[in-house]
Amino acid sequence: ARTTEDTACPLQYVKFQSRNFENILVWDSGPDSSPDTVYSVEYKRYGDRVWLAKAGCQRTTQKSCNLTMETGNLTELYYARVKAVCPGRKQNNKTTDRFSSLQHTTIKPPDVTCIPKVRSIQMLIHPTLTPIRSENGHQLTLEEIFRDLFYRLELRVNHTYQMHLEGKQREYEFLGLTPDTEFIGAITILAPMWSKESAPYVCRVKTLPDRTW
Amino acid sequence: EFRFGPCRVEGVVLPELWEAFWAVKNTVQAQDDITSVRLLKAQVLQNVSDAESCYLVHSLLKFYLNTVFKNYHSKIAKVKILKSFSSLANNFIDIVSKLQPSKDKDMLSISESAHRRFMLFRRAFKQMDTEVALVKAFGEVDILLTWMQKFYQL
Amino acid sequence: MKHLLMWNPVAQPRETVLYSVEYQGEYESLYMSHIWIPSSQCSPTNGLECDVTDDVTATVPYNFRVRAMLGSQTSAWSTLEHPFNRNSTVLVAPRMEVTEHGLHLVVKLEDLGPQFEFLVVYWRKEPGATEHVKVVKSGNTPVHLETMEPGAMYCVKAQAWVKAIGRHSTFSQIQCVDMQGESLPL
Repeated sequence: ARTTEDTACPLQYVKFQSRNFENILVWDSGPDSSPDTVYSVEYKRYGDRVWLAKAGCQRTTQKSCNLTMETGNLTELYYARVKAVCPGRKQNNKTTDRFSSLQHTTIKPPDVTCIPKVRSIQMLIHPTLTPIRSENGHQLTLEEIFRDLFYRLELRVNHTYQMHLEGKQREYEFLGLTPDTEFIGAITILAPMWSKESAPYVCRVKTLPDRTW
Repeated sequence: EFRFGPCRVEGVVLPELWEAFWAVKNTVQAQDDITSVRLLKAQVLQNVSDAESCYLVHSLLKFYLNTVFKNYHSKIAKVKILKSFSSLANNFIDIVSKLQPSKDKDMLSISESAHRRFMLFRRAFKQMDTEVALVKAFGEVDILLTWMQKFYQL
Repeated sequence: MKHLLMWNPVAQPRETVLYSVEYQGEYESLYMSHIWIPSSQCSPTNGLECDVTDDVTATVPYNFRVRAMLGSQTSAWSTLEHPFNRNSTVLVAPRMEVTEHGLHLVVKLEDLGPQFEFLVVYWRKEPGATEHVKVVKSGNTPVHLETMEPGAMYCVKAQAWVKAIGRHSTFSQIQCVDMQGESLPL
């Protein structure tokens, strides 16, 4: 028969979740875990021998740990591992798959300002800063990281067709619209070389009434 | 197309290569449990000049075709991995066939610099047990593709 | 791009004959010629053709072979006489529908799959007209080209482009639209 002592402390799904290069290590404890379980996190670069303890994620009861700063070099790949310790059970360790933020990160929807006018709608896309810094400490935007990045803007016109605009610049204007009419705009970020596409930022906008008559 | 300095390679869709590798990445990399060794180190691939890049990519891809893929093939059990492997190998053959590294004498120092980088990689490979090195090298195709991507124009 | 492998049936009245397709790329034929890979779509199939588009993922020569299966019996392999390279694909001009919605000139292109992009050329029909070009990344979605001026006629033509093989089709037939009437094929 197996006493509790024999079974390891429950620990599963140790992995990185990455959005716009915010790299969070997450894990789960599983169904029969004890509330007294504590976790400790270590990480290292692929190719290094030594594991480094992540300060702030030692003997924590949390089930996530922010490793953004520790995994911020885009030319490196990383591993992280979690040690779970709980009363009456064997300690348990689990390691992530090899992690590359360039390959794994997903892109969040852009931050956009939609400005309605009488016969047009202007769309201003704001730059997206990331936690990644260049060698001289400058904080990089998504555009600086993905050189093929571009924006795709769609304006749905009464469910029959869409107006499309696309490009690398950040200011766009859909022209020739009917006054006092509602439109739905959807703006996505694409980085095709990495097969990355953000979810759309959606804005519902109504053109202004034409008061010139 | 790829532009490795003077060398141009058209007709290769890089996202297709990524797709092929991502389909098997975790399976292949999980077979490599020596996480303290990296074959394609920074010294091999960082700060490679355009002029060097054609020589280096030619050497690396030929090594992958003649040594890594050729010997790794017998380890493949699953058809899914076989298909990804085939897609990568056939695209590498396409690239190598279109690369024409210059043999001019005035390029000698550049080609030798590229050769030294390649030898760093090859030496690290030879220092390991062959089976282990094959698995590790195949698992590092993403490092190779990430470097090649710098020379890719959509 | 769509690559279809076709073969003649094995005469076996009142029996269901299955067929199995395998392929090898240039790498396999050069380095390990004994290795053949089961096709994604037709291992097995009871049809007489196989869509091998997803198997051909590099612009190199590919060998294909087919064999028939009836119960426990299998025929010998029948191998394609000449290897197939996707750069021999023939691209046909895309089908296109040009309409006007209010002041807007709208084009809808045929969806030919993820490998295709379209070059759409449009102009206002007048002496010395300037041609405008728009790259459309995917078919099937109506795309706004231009906000037109009342009374003017606008014309459109399009060609398909496949990056993987660096080729484009011929241009489609020109279609023109005037603000009052239907689109007029020229």
